[in-house]
Amino acid sequence: MAQETPVKLLVIDDDAHLRESLAEVLELDGFECLQAGTATDGIATAKKNNPRVVIMDIQLPDSSGFQICQELRKHSREAILIMMTGRFLSAEEKTQGFELGADEYLTKPFDLQELSVRIRQLLSRSRS
Amino acid sequence: MPEAAGGRGKLAYKFLLWFLLISLAPMGVVGWHLIDISQSVLKEESLRHQQSLAVGFAETVSNYISTFKTVLTIASRLEGFATMDPVKQERHLNRVMQQHPAFLEVSVFDASGRETVHMGRFLSAVPQMRNFADEDPFRAALDRGEYAGGLARFQGLYPTLTLAVPILESGAGQAVKRGVLLAKISLNGLSQMLRQEFPEKGRSQAAVVAGDVRDSFLVAHSNPNEAFKADAKLPEEILKVILTQTAKRGGGEVELKDSTRVLGAFAEVKDTGWIVYVQQPTESAYLAATQMKGQVLRVLLWVVVITLLLSLAVAGHITQPIRALQQAAERLTAGRFEDLPEMTLTNDEIGDLAQSFIQMSDSLKEKTGELLHAKEELTKYGRDLERRVESRTRELKAAQDELIKKERLAAIGQMASVVGHEIRNPLAVINNSIFFIKTKMTKEGTLDPKVERHISIIQSEVKQANSIIDEILTYSRSRELKPEATKLNFWVEELLSVYPFPAHIAVEKNLDPRDPVVYIDQDEMKQAVRNLIGNGIEVMPTQGSVRIATALLEKGWVRLDVGDRGPGIPPDVLEKIFTPFYTTKARGTGLGLAVVKKVIDRHGGRVDVQTAVGQGTLFSLYLPLHDPNRKEPPAAGVRQSAQPPITAPAQPAARTEPPQTARALPATRPQGT
Repeated sequence: MAQETPVKLLVIDDDAHLRESLAEVLELDGFECLQAGTATDGIATAKKNNPRVVIMDIQLPDSSGFQICQELRKHSREAILIMMTGRFLSAEEKTQGFELGADEYLTKPFDLQELSVRIRQLLSRSRS
Repeated sequence: MPEAAGGRGKLAYKFLLWFLLISLAPMGVVGWHLIDISQSVLKEESLRHQQSLAVGFAETVSNYISTFKTVLTIASRLEGFATMDPVKQERHLNRVMQQHPAFLEVSVFDASGRETVHMGRFLSAVPQMRNFADEDPFRAALDRGEYAGGLARFQGLYPTLTLAVPILESGAGQAVKRGVLLAKISLNGLSQMLRQEFPEKGRSQAAVVAGDVRDSFLVAHSNPNEAFKADAKLPEEILKVILTQTAKRGGGEVELKDSTRVLGAFAEVKDTGWIVYVQQPTESAYLAATQMKGQVLRVLLWVVVITLLLSLAVAGHITQPIRALQQAAERLTAGRFEDLPEMTLTNDEIGDLAQSFIQMSDSLKEKTGELLHAKEELTKYGRDLERRVESRTRELKAAQDELIKKERLAAIGQMASVVGHEIRNPLAVINNSIFFIKTKMTKEGTLDPKVERHISIIQSEVKQANSIIDEILTYSRSRELKPEATKLNFWVEELLSVYPFPAHIAVEKNLDPRDPVVYIDQDEMKQAVRNLIGNGIEVMPTQGSVRIATALLEKGWVRLDVGDRGPGIPPDVLEKIFTPFYTTKARGTGLGLAVVKKVIDRHGGRVDVQTAVGQGTLFSLYLPLHDPNRKEPPAAGVRQSAQPPITAPAQPAARTEPPQTARALPATRPQGT
């Protein structure tokens, strides 16, 4: 897989360290990682680069992950949208997220190996 | 008048005083007047008596004189007188003198005034013959027919009186005066009579006086010796009174020189003009009056005494009920309602008063009783109120404490939630970064074993920190319970299959073959059971076994046991194990068991702990059996038994002493969750 065109991946999080560490780990795993610190920037980057996977924090300074999710789903039906959160989400919230097009939820901190595996699962499913 | 000692007058005495004043004063006045009147009457009577005595004696004197006159007249008519025969005359006159000792001298004068016969008791044998031709007695006897006068003291001693009558020759026609028969008579007889009639006592005396004030002659006296004195006289003051009177009789009180008073009376003797004086001292004269006065006074005294006694009796009788009333009032004042004196109800105002008093005391007694009762009630209410206030205060305090605890927990939970959330990001970054380092170094083949060891330490610590946050967030969040019917045995098996038991821990399963179904929120229940298993594993660091058991109990209850064979829980710790943030571990939130209790409470169940030091601890979770006919969770419905039956689970054979038990009962059963 690594020999193929690296999969484009966008991380949107206002926490620069988290964003960076996540991106770097995923890059080690062979992904091409883009980063954005705000929702606006994230949406713009996504529209411009069409990443296959977008990992976004639910709480962002200028908007919420749900709105990004909604916006990006309009733009691309194929992109894999993963929501990150630092707190528990209620069932309603999760349902709302899924209805808006989210594919997965992550609760911080998460096992990066698991994340990597999960992303590849989702990718292979969307390809097939 | 009697006056009660000690200031306050007694009613009885006051009554008495007024009674006596009213009754005795007029009586006294009347009595005094009566005495006065009777006194004056008596005095008048005495005076009258005295006067009558005087008058009576005046008559006696008059009779005395006229008797001798009569004797002389009779003698003058005897034979021989008309013829002037001296021999016959002497013979007759001798007899007269023998018969009447009062005749001291008797003489016969012829018409020319020459004495023819001269006889006397103290005369010499041949008496001298006198010529009386010009003498008053002779002339008066011849002219007026008789003579009485010539008072003198015979030989300076006896008072004597000279009497003379004419000697008549009663021939044919006119009587011829032949001569005069003259006699000197002693008046001693009068004094003798006075003495007999008025015996001298004290200053009483009687006398016959002639003449005037300047030249008085004491004719007779009750004390004859007085009359024989040459200068015999009555006292000057008496003479003044009796000899200056123009009345023929009279009398009155006379004050003597020695300022004693006497009652005197006088009467004039007919013909002679003498005055009879009778005197007696006022004391004896007024004896009757004095005696009467004494008598009246004695009677008055008796009246007063009797009135006094009567009044006392009457006043006592009148005031007795009043005294009884007063006594009763005093006892009433002292509050001795039961001890009132006997009161006789007389048929008068006092009786009415007593009646009113009795009614008043009854009413007072009743009112006092009511008052006392009310006071008691009030005290009781007060105490009751105090107790209630106390208990309410305690409840309130407990509620407040509970609230504070809850609020504190809520605040802690909220804070923990925020803090936990905020810490999760850095933890995630650390986790990412260390993963990156590890991956990179592994890829490059530069991973030193020591570095790898530390990386894994960091990863482990991050994981632990994360689990702490999880615990806190789990405990503090209030998510809605999502219960579902769950086959307990299956659910337990699943849980155990994924639980990472360390190698040194054995698992003892004892599941009820009836496989009870419970209605639980699987996530929360899983958390609870995992906490219990985790605790069990922690207390058995080297060797041990975790016991898991399920049991279907009677009356709709299911028990899930999670036990260990660790050191057990000391009693002082046991009572605090469900308290949030209480921990005995070096690392621990103190929320593990608090979460267990919270979860079981939310399911309407109960946690029971049995522990024995050195032998292990057994947590029994009592859960309601699922009722498939009911949609609602059983916690909200009516169960067959509100309290789960406590039946001790199968005990390890080694356990000999009774296990210590702590039960964590839900404070309130959650409704509709």
